[in-house]
Amino acid sequence: MMRSVLAAAALALVPSMGLAQTGDMDRGETIYVKRCLQCHGEDGDGLGPAAERLNPPPRDFTLGLYKYVTSGFDADMPNDADLIRMIRDGMPGTAMPGWSDMLSQQDILDVVSYIKYFAEIEGEPETQTDFGTQVASSEESIAAGKLLFEDNDRCTECHGIEGKGNAIKKLKDDNGDRTWPRNLTKPWAFRASNDPRDIFARISVGIPTTQMPSFADPASKKSLSIEDRWHVANYVASLAKTEKVVNPDNFVVQGTRAEGALPGSPDDETWAAVPHSTFMMIPQIVGQDRFFTAANDTVTVRALYDTERVAIHLEWDDRTHSIPGDAKAASIADEELYEDAIAIQFPRQIPEGMEKPYFLMGNAADPVNLWRWSSGTADAPETARIIDAAGIGSQTARDDSGDFQATGSYRDGTWRVVMTRALETANTETDLQFEQGRFVPIGFFAWDGSNGETGTAHSMTTWYWLQLKPAASSKPLIYAVLAGLLVLALLAWWGGTAAARARRST
Amino acid sequence: MRLPRLLQAALVLVGVYLGFIVVFDYMLEAVIPGSLLTMYMFFVTVGVFMVFTYDEERTRELVAPIKAMVENPIYRGARNTVFIVIPLLVGYGVYSRTLPSFEAPVELRTIHPAPPSTAKIYGERVNLLTLENPFRHYQTDDPEIFAEYVQEGAAVYIENCQYCHGDKLDGKGPYAEGLNPTPLNFQDIGTIAQLQESYLYWRIATGGPGLPKEAAPWISSMPVWQEFLTEEEIWKVILFLYDYTGHAPRSWGEAHDAGGH
Repeated sequence: MMRSVLAAAALALVPSMGLAQTGDMDRGETIYVKRCLQCHGEDGDGLGPAAERLNPPPRDFTLGLYKYVTSGFDADMPNDADLIRMIRDGMPGTAMPGWSDMLSQQDILDVVSYIKYFAEIEGEPETQTDFGTQVASSEESIAAGKLLFEDNDRCTECHGIEGKGNAIKKLKDDNGDRTWPRNLTKPWAFRASNDPRDIFARISVGIPTTQMPSFADPASKKSLSIEDRWHVANYVASLAKTEKVVNPDNFVVQGTRAEGALPGSPDDETWAAVPHSTFMMIPQIVGQDRFFTAANDTVTVRALYDTERVAIHLEWDDRTHSIPGDAKAASIADEELYEDAIAIQFPRQIPEGMEKPYFLMGNAADPVNLWRWSSGTADAPETARIIDAAGIGSQTARDDSGDFQATGSYRDGTWRVVMTRALETANTETDLQFEQGRFVPIGFFAWDGSNGETGTAHSMTTWYWLQLKPAASSKPLIYAVLAGLLVLALLAWWGGTAAARARRST
Repeated sequence: MRLPRLLQAALVLVGVYLGFIVVFDYMLEAVIPGSLLTMYMFFVTVGVFMVFTYDEERTRELVAPIKAMVENPIYRGARNTVFIVIPLLVGYGVYSRTLPSFEAPVELRTIHPAPPSTAKIYGERVNLLTLENPFRHYQTDDPEIFAEYVQEGAAVYIENCQYCHGDKLDGKGPYAEGLNPTPLNFQDIGTIAQLQESYLYWRIATGGPGLPKEAAPWISSMPVWQEFLTEEEIWKVILFLYDYTGHAPRSWGEAHDAGGH
């Protein structure tokens, strides 16, 4: 191949690129063609067939600029170790998997030497990030970090006061593509881990090709000393909201009997004590029209009920409060601005057997109920509607949604919505009737209006379960005592007769 | 010294029980559902009981320690302890089973259901028993063209399939964890390597909704690809799946009973 010839020529011209350290470029090319080319493109420009659909897009190797590096902020190339790590471990939340199970250390070295060739990177970086002496995390360090994070609007400018990446700023990368500041409360989504050492590197170097700057650069008005950067790193690591971690083994929303009145407000403090389940949301890439770049990635669900009604609390992080008609909201929105919205999906009846409606909004033979809330516009209030859906393209909002209610509240990058409905309704044919103790299929759909999400462009889950757990009763204890006594009586009888028989025979 | 037969029986049962846990939870990495384990252990217990009570001699030997404990006054202390512990265990078992639980219902579904003999694909009824990949013969006839088709299949895959089935075809795409059932791992020797290409064509073209009922079509998130891809694109992506994983499709010569496992 042409490139091998060029590569060989380049190697011949640059004696400093020792094969032993940098890997074998020819072998690297072979691996690249098989494993990497589909996303990163034949010419390493990130323009593989799926470039348009991947979010974030594949890296363009021809520029030689990499996001997650440990070389100095003013260096013009990454360390080999940075590239090796990205290939070996992959990047969570992106299409880049970790390759350690498929490529050997030597394979990875070979690929590194090949992708460096796309930008003709040679030699070593001129400067390195100075990690100084790591400051161990402590209450004092975190408190100091918080001050520095907020001071001078240093980090809050983009990441927001709670670190959810919800600040009102439209960011673009060098390529002109929209980027979003990281939600620091979900550090498991960090591309290169939330270990304080990694966060320190991001703060020090910045994230090249994006608007995340270097805070080690003395030319920056917001620059920080090494010690201060450790404080900020410790603070950022402390922001993790662990209740938003998805537990892949949990499929159930635990509906709990309310102690007092059902809290109608999404901000009511009683919700904090209700068991929560967090589910991963993925883009709607199953039905027409497929949508690849949804913004919402999780939803946290809680449920309470009393003798009359059920209340479901939904919480999800959304960087933007999308208010159509609002000039400020429109200036942040990606394209057209729509309302934010969320919907819960239920079957019309609790299934008797295994069969459920089709998970993506049902079908004509087995339609579903959608409980949908939308956030309202500058001119109209929020709405709460029950929708009959018979497939992703077939939705009919009811004129009369009965006593269904939904209300939402947006604060610091998080939506909280409560939906309530009577446990039983008059429309037994078309409305789900709740029963204590039964497992009810439940699913979720969400729309981020500032991300162009409307209609079939949304995020979704597959079916999970909601169970309204029956209130505590003495029945299990009574059954247990009865069973225990019965067995004890049988054993005593056995022992008695056996002892009697033994006496007779002697 | 020979172990008492009662202890032997107990050891066999415990061994099998642990065996199930090791095989399912650790080797297959799929935690065995409690109801399934109960069912298996029921049959194992019946089997062990039958073997250990095969004739009168063995039966006597088996129950001798129990008999001695109940009848012989020397063992009164042990007897009384056992007679207290057993009712307590029964009581606890009943209590924990009648307590309301949040454990999700187990859904058993067939992962590779037996294919129908014909299926309606792109508006036409095709015979899946005779259907072949129209590009497969290039593998021997014209390897260069074949490689091109594999590349085209790779592009189709990256554009459409990797989100769930993964860049490495290991079923671990970026959205895999958001799906239940989880996407198939094509690297696994138990998936496409066991199937004919016509089976893949049927599964891809008709997607989740095209599954028979025993495979729970209502939960599969596999799209109906005949709505998005052309017939040729599907055949090319099948070439790619086998090429990338190094598996060979099952041919008609080997077996006519593909699937159904």
